[in-house]
Amino acid sequence: MADSSWTSSAESLKGVILDLCGVLYDSGEDGGTPIPGSVEAVKRLKASDLKLRFCTNETQASRDKFVAKLQKMGFDISVCEVFSPAPAAVAVLKDRGMRPHLLVYDGLLSEFESVDQTNPNCVVVGDAAGNFTYENLNDAFRVLIGLEKPVLFALGKGRYYKEADGLSLDVGPYMKALEYACDVEAEVIGKPSSVFFHSVLSDMGLQPHQVMMVGDDLVNDVGGAQLCGMTGLQVRTGKYRPSDQQHRSVKADGTVDDLAQAVDLLLGARAGPL
Amino acid sequence: MSGRRALRAVLVDLSGTLHIEDTATPVRSSWSGSARPRWAVRFVMSTMEIFTSLSAARRLVEQNHQRPLLLVEDSALEDFAGLDTSNPNAVVVGLAPQHFNYQTLNTAFRLVLEGAPLVAVHKARYYQRGDGLALGPGPFVTALEYASGRSAVVVGKPQETFFTQVPDSGMQPGEAVMIGDDARDDVGGAQNAGMRGILVRTGKYRVGDESKISPGPYLTCDSFPDAVDHLLKDLL
Repeated sequence: MADSSWTSSAESLKGVILDLCGVLYDSGEDGGTPIPGSVEAVKRLKASDLKLRFCTNETQASRDKFVAKLQKMGFDISVCEVFSPAPAAVAVLKDRGMRPHLLVYDGLLSEFESVDQTNPNCVVVGDAAGNFTYENLNDAFRVLIGLEKPVLFALGKGRYYKEADGLSLDVGPYMKALEYACDVEAEVIGKPSSVFFHSVLSDMGLQPHQVMMVGDDLVNDVGGAQLCGMTGLQVRTGKYRPSDQQHRSVKADGTVDDLAQAVDLLLGARAGPL
Repeated sequence: MSGRRALRAVLVDLSGTLHIEDTATPVRSSWSGSARPRWAVRFVMSTMEIFTSLSAARRLVEQNHQRPLLLVEDSALEDFAGLDTSNPNAVVVGLAPQHFNYQTLNTAFRLVLEGAPLVAVHKARYYQRGDGLALGPGPFVTALEYASGRSAVVVGKPQETFFTQVPDSGMQPGEAVMIGDDARDDVGGAQNAGMRGILVRTGKYRVGDESKISPGPYLTCDSFPDAVDHLLKDLL
């Protein structure tokens, strides 16, 4: 069953932004598996007159690596269409003269190669997964607590994501752990930061009201997009839970079964009466 | 400050006030001199001694007939001896660095998300380890709360109930003083319960901690012996 009120404004849309994990594919030990219908759905969007970008908080691998992985799964996607937190963070660090202590997955380190990491004056925390050992967290904590002005950047603040064997903690809980320990508030780079969404919109050359975001994370994908003025659609794949539809503050403009259904309804509504 | 309420009990935080891991901070003999007044002294710490948050956590789990996943130090397991821990439907979090790894926290998270109550032995932010400051259970409890959207039941410091249960029954909170190195959890917690709090500048204390609680500590001293000096001189 799909909530169809959002389709009435479908004709005025000029662009679509898609989340990756939970919309195109599900994460897992083997690199992940495409969600049924998603490969075809992306092809259909690309063939339409809508501009398309991908916006992810993926921070376990560099863009080159995860785009290559998606291409192997059959997705028509390229690096220049993908927006992720690490490159945005690098720009912020350089702009503000910050030298980071990194608490990230090894696969992300290459994104920070051009950044001075000596004598750190801030901590950057990403989805470090297995690298979230007690001692690694402690090292990051010690850097922060030792700074006169502790600065913590979090590459996203998601609570959890879906893997093949169940839900796993995302960067958000670990960001909260460091915030609590050091009494600081993290700056979030990535979804749902509006600065992040606006960088995608400006790359597309479109205004928020002309764009729709499709994601599985009610707060970070849908809520974040809505706060910028975009339409936000939630899919029932990935980390979606039925309780999302009774969330106390975020109400998706529409909820659909998966990306395939979203594209069916969207392109159907734009085709107009036959 | 009312001088009429006689001091009848002194609560001393152990970790960071009297000792840091295995090194004792100096305790002067005036404490054990013949002029020592008749005070009840209770040592309060989360992992050992007369009254502990661990025993409070065990009681809570037992009362609710729960089977806990115990994220506590091996030495604390004996406080939970006899409880069924198979197929857990509750999560108890204490100071347990060896359990604060990604896999175990994921397991705990999945249980709490599905409805298992989360019990925090206490929520200390950090403590003084031999080689520097180290994360306490507080940050990890906060992580699980945020991830699951649920709140933990905190049985230890700085919850008011912890402090009011420690003195002998019949004693008023105003007749007790807490001495500790953690402004919020030791001193703030005690003062919220109606006791007086003395902050000592040892252990995990950092410059400026006094201003982290409001009202501020009744007194801030350099060390435990100085706090005792004050008690002997001014609070008899």
